[in-house]
Amino acid sequence: MVLVLAIGDLHIPHRAPDLPAKFKSMLVPGKIQHIICTGNLCIKEVHDYLKSLCPSLHITRGEYDEDARYPETKTLTIGQFKLGLCHGHQVVPWGDLDSLAMLQRQLDVDILVSGHTHQFKAYKHEAGVVINPGSATGAYSSITYDVNPSFVLMDIDGLRVVVYVYELIDGEVKVDKIDFKKTSTATI
Amino acid sequence: MVKKRLPDWLNSPMWSSPTVTTSPPPKSRSLSPPPPPPSSSNDDRYGIGSYPSKSSSVTSSDSSLNEPHVPLPPPTSIKQEPTPKTRIRDSSTRSVNSDNDVSSSIEDVSRQAQLLEEIINIGELRQLCLLGIPDAAGIRSTVWKLLLAYLPTDKGLWSSELAKKRAQYKQFKENLLMNPTSFSMILNVSVASQSEITRTFEVSASLKNGDLSEGKGLLERSKIPHGEHPLSLGKTSIWNQFFQDSEIIEQIDRDVKRTHPDIPFFSGDSASSKANQESLKNILIIFAKLNPGIRYVQGMNELLAPLFYVFRNDPNEDSLVNAEADTFFCFVELISGFRDNFCQQLDNSIVGIRSTISRLSQLLKQHDEELWRHLEVNPQFYAFRWITLLLTQEFNFSDSLHIWDALLSDPEGPQETLLRVCCAMLILVRRRLLAGDFTANLKLLQSYPSTNVSQLLYLSNKLRSC
Repeated sequence: MVLVLAIGDLHIPHRAPDLPAKFKSMLVPGKIQHIICTGNLCIKEVHDYLKSLCPSLHITRGEYDEDARYPETKTLTIGQFKLGLCHGHQVVPWGDLDSLAMLQRQLDVDILVSGHTHQFKAYKHEAGVVINPGSATGAYSSITYDVNPSFVLMDIDGLRVVVYVYELIDGEVKVDKIDFKKTSTATI
Repeated sequence: MVKKRLPDWLNSPMWSSPTVTTSPPPKSRSLSPPPPPPSSSNDDRYGIGSYPSKSSSVTSSDSSLNEPHVPLPPPTSIKQEPTPKTRIRDSSTRSVNSDNDVSSSIEDVSRQAQLLEEIINIGELRQLCLLGIPDAAGIRSTVWKLLLAYLPTDKGLWSSELAKKRAQYKQFKENLLMNPTSFSMILNVSVASQSEITRTFEVSASLKNGDLSEGKGLLERSKIPHGEHPLSLGKTSIWNQFFQDSEIIEQIDRDVKRTHPDIPFFSGDSASSKANQESLKNILIIFAKLNPGIRYVQGMNELLAPLFYVFRNDPNEDSLVNAEADTFFCFVELISGFRDNFCQQLDNSIVGIRSTISRLSQLLKQHDEELWRHLEVNPQFYAFRWITLLLTQEFNFSDSLHIWDALLSDPEGPQETLLRVCCAMLILVRRRLLAGDFTANLKLLQSYPSTNVSQLLYLSNKLRSC
């Protein structure tokens, strides 16, 4: 029962001052085992804050990140699942399912987490699942100003994943969940 | 009743010699003709057929009881049954007490007789166990279960009672040791399909979101029942409870790993010791969850260890397998007597640990005023551990099992008996205490020297309403 937080596109301090208070009150250290971050934090202080929530922190580089040392893509294995991480500005057209599927096949992962569009999406296709956690601060994106703050928490348990989607809509935190599982025979 | 001097029997030369006579219990028993051997382990090693003839030897020793200087029961009565007696002598050697084989074997026999009867007389059983239960007989497990009122006195009810209790424990385990993920899966199924709740989802018709290998498109989102998500801060959320409990679970884990590191049963790398540790953990976790008032306090693992050890070493196959369930209920029973010691708020109250310690002090004053006056050491320094851990840390493991025999069997209740045993412990080393100063005494009492346990139990018995 591994809890993995997928978060990104905070754009602190350029486009947003901080995480929404309701999100911050929920994110306490000790509950989460891994954090995967799509990028665009942008400064070291945010990195340190995420590190305090969980020591296992994985970040990929977004185009506004001040730390140039983050990799462009990253893959990691948690339980039975292979996860891939990429910011998403490299994949053109931005947010396009087929192009992201191509990236997923390239990285050879079951779950691809990417961002940049600042919109939560969860797609399924033959090669796997693509999850976009959206923007945790609700910062405006290159595409739109109308952004709801959101992030994603995945509960990986054996061959199942339960994805909890946290969104801040009209000042209230709304949580939904998505279930999927991987068949062990799938050649993913 | 203030004593200026020690009573004579305390000063008797009896204490300096290793042979201590243990007086057979005063009540005379009527040994009924033995019923057919029961299904449980109390086998007829002792020769059931010879019981009726034993009664004569027992009653003859009863008469010579009333003074403490009881000589060994007259050899004549014993010679009547030479063959079975030698068998008994071989099988009931207690590590501490090799001199007392003869007298103790009479008790063994009567204990066996007690256990073989259909309806067990608890009062008599208690009397028999006051001075210890023999190790080799393998009956300790059953006797403790009887003394802790886990098994009813009517033997016919044993199997139904045991089945009931074990099923209850299984329920507890399933409900309380469950992972929140699996719990939420159960919720998912009941919301989605309204069919019977199953945990195996391989059929997964209810999972509308399907597997990764088929089709493409947006994944469906579903509502969360009752706001149950992992970051929930609500009091009733199972996730929140899970994270709060995980602290306690960590502490329990640490303590279990540290229990009795010298005994291979509890520690080490073998699969059996790991399984034992797992069982200990499960019991403590379930207890903590069912008792939010006292949760888990450090030291409970020490109280649990002897119980589990005894039940797990039961020669009866059935009891051995279900040792965890049995230990849980007996542990609950045991703790209920000592609950107040673990509650911090009650420390200063009249039922708390402080007042128990002062009662010990009073008891010492009553029996041995000279020592009481001399002993400057605040009893809190040594008696706290003695009392809260029921003397498990003061003696080696097998000795503490003997002491627990006495504690559990005494009709006055374990709390009272414990105080008497502690008092006896102090009196036994009185010579050294009187000769020593504060530091020496403190050192002595905090690492109590090993001593003859049956002597100790005999003395504590004597202190009863003296």
